[in-house]
Amino acid sequence: MSSVESSGDGGRWLDAHYDPVAGLYTFSSCVDLADLSGDGESRLVVGDLGTGSSGMKLKVYRGTALMSESVLLDLPAGLVAFFMDLHEPRIPAVAVASGPCIYVYKNLRPYFKFTLPSLEINPLEQDVWQQVREGQIDPLTLKEMLESIRKKDDVPLSIRSLRFLSLDVNDMDEFVQLHRQQPIRRQTVITCIGTLKKSTADEDGVSCLVIGTENSNVFILDPEAFTILSKMSLPAVPTMMDVTGQFDVEFRITVACRDGHIYILRRESDKPKYCVELSSHPAGLVRIGKNVVVGCTDESLQGFTQKGKKLWKIILPAPITTMAAMDLPTRGFQGVLVGLANCEVHLYRDKNLLSTIKAPDTVTSICFGRYGREDGTLIMTTKGGGLMVKILKRTAAFDDRDSAPGPPLAQSVRLNIPKKTKLYVDQTLRERENGLAMHRTFQMDLSRTRLAAARAYVKALESSLTPVSSSLSEPLKMNAVVQGLGPSFKLTLNVQNTAACRPIMNLAISFLYDENLYKVRNPYMRIPLLVPGLIYPIETFVENTNDKGVSDVIKVFVLHEGKSSPLLTAHINMPVSEGSTLN
Amino acid sequence: MGLLDKLSGWLGLKKKEVNILCLGLDNSGKTTIINQLKPSNTQAQEIVPTIGFNIEKFKSSSLSFTVFDMSGQSRYRSLWEHYYKESHAIIFVIDSSDKLRMVVAKEELDTLLNHEDIQDRKMPVLFFANKMDLRDALSSVKVSQKLCLENIKDKPWHICASNAIKGEGLQEGLDWLQDQIAQSYQNNEQVKA
Repeated sequence: MSSVESSGDGGRWLDAHYDPVAGLYTFSSCVDLADLSGDGESRLVVGDLGTGSSGMKLKVYRGTALMSESVLLDLPAGLVAFFMDLHEPRIPAVAVASGPCIYVYKNLRPYFKFTLPSLEINPLEQDVWQQVREGQIDPLTLKEMLESIRKKDDVPLSIRSLRFLSLDVNDMDEFVQLHRQQPIRRQTVITCIGTLKKSTADEDGVSCLVIGTENSNVFILDPEAFTILSKMSLPAVPTMMDVTGQFDVEFRITVACRDGHIYILRRESDKPKYCVELSSHPAGLVRIGKNVVVGCTDESLQGFTQKGKKLWKIILPAPITTMAAMDLPTRGFQGVLVGLANCEVHLYRDKNLLSTIKAPDTVTSICFGRYGREDGTLIMTTKGGGLMVKILKRTAAFDDRDSAPGPPLAQSVRLNIPKKTKLYVDQTLRERENGLAMHRTFQMDLSRTRLAAARAYVKALESSLTPVSSSLSEPLKMNAVVQGLGPSFKLTLNVQNTAACRPIMNLAISFLYDENLYKVRNPYMRIPLLVPGLIYPIETFVENTNDKGVSDVIKVFVLHEGKSSPLLTAHINMPVSEGSTLN
Repeated sequence: MGLLDKLSGWLGLKKKEVNILCLGLDNSGKTTIINQLKPSNTQAQEIVPTIGFNIEKFKSSSLSFTVFDMSGQSRYRSLWEHYYKESHAIIFVIDSSDKLRMVVAKEELDTLLNHEDIQDRKMPVLFFANKMDLRDALSSVKVSQKLCLENIKDKPWHICASNAIKGEGLQEGLDWLQDQIAQSYQNNEQVKA
């Protein structure tokens, strides 16, 4: 047992158990919680699909341990625990739907097997097989005849005939020899299973089984005699269903079908009462109160009323793997748990995301309810066969914040705005009346400012007043540093050639200054060849000859020999000589 | 404290009153433990799930205990905190066979120890790792690991494995609790003197 990192769920869940190698391969329809021994401790009942072809098992967990397991003959399509009688102690039975049968277990022992009634057989097909039995036709003729029946008739062929048609010529003889003595039968299989309370809404009331079949029927079975109480037909094959109400009073069966529609069946009619056409195929169906929440394969979650009216739709970040209801009556909480392919489980109340649980693997089945003695237990199995149990904290609270994008809360807070003054009203009036003129004036002034700025810039460029040279042949950069307190200053000019690879030659530096104020030691300096990229410090000394504490600007020019206009200019604001004032 | 009171205290005539809070998850065996600690003539034969809480009184050699046996059901757990203030010690009972809900026990214990009425007090906490007779029960060491008891630094605590139905291990725990309470009383009197 190891604990799992569960960030993002606000610390609402306790990690009770995680077994990554539990070897449970199942879906939400094959998981249920029930007090199988009547001691007040709920067990987890799982129809394990094994590898899909073998190893199908009915497993029962108690706490963290596997309590019992028994082999299932076929792949389970659904599993429900239900009360089938009124005997004391009140121990529920487990019904496992697989293939055309329902296996009912009581006290975890096989108790009863219900098989769906077989379907009508094509009389032509029956005739053909009759002839085969009498040895009148050989396999090849049989194949031809069956194929013509398959093409022409409305009643589909039996499984045996279809199997025969798919065989190789060599295997046909053997197949016919093996099967020809048995009468042919046509069976349908169960696709989904649910429970419906018979006459009382009590938690431990006797329940009928409701099954959906591959030939688009829904049957309601009597819990004790296993006779068909009611038969309803759908336009398509049901895949998921939700049942509510009581059989004797009023009930409602919501069925998601393989044609991407949701049909709502009611007591009085054997045909669907309402139909919801979805934009894509349903991946999960959960009823919350009177509303139905459907997860679709286009990564959306949609809410409908019980009459099929669409209420809302949200887009999810990843495809849905499974869905389950989270119903906590002690706290009056109802929500929908949605397992996503990005290893997350989202909890929604209506369209609001309340919590996100991160799982170490993709979750394939979710079950929420009372497990052991704890009411708010979330049980999940993962794609890799792991079993995860989380317990909702007693203090956990889900705040109903609207996750839909919209104005933030702060926006609706009223600001303390002072009353409108006369001046404000006058100004507003003036602005309203002369809006055009004011805008024009502003635009004109703005253009003038821009023009003035552009002119100044051009002038600076033309007279090379900037410390960065703009000419393409001699791209130069210079900055100046003045050191010292005075009256003597050290002036360092850092000259850099910013060209990519071309050196610059024949440059000189000269100064322009007030000769009454300053004396520059080298007023004219030649610059050595400038290698691109390197910074050349060129130093000279400046002496302030004035003792009145006056400072001035010294202009530095970088010149090309033989040309009078400078390449670049720098203005150095000389500091006040402190040395002279000290004297 | 008057001279007469002191005298009677020395002579053991008047026993000190101690309030003890008995906490733990539902079905951990709190009521059964308290029932076993009572004198045998007043013991109840059948234990039913506690609703709200029960008050039980019994005496040991030197102390007179008043035990608040709280219900452990989750809907009554919010009642616990109202009794923290007037209690002198805590008995926390754990069902050592319920591995799944060990996290819930830990969560409730952490909430308890971080409560403002408990946090700064040096009150002794006695843990009973109950139901040790069951086949899949964890040992008391395992239970203390699961509950991270080693992190309790500022309170004296003790864990003992118990079987409340037969009464095994209970006396050991109670003796420890008595010692702790006696010690804290001595300390208090030293401070007062």
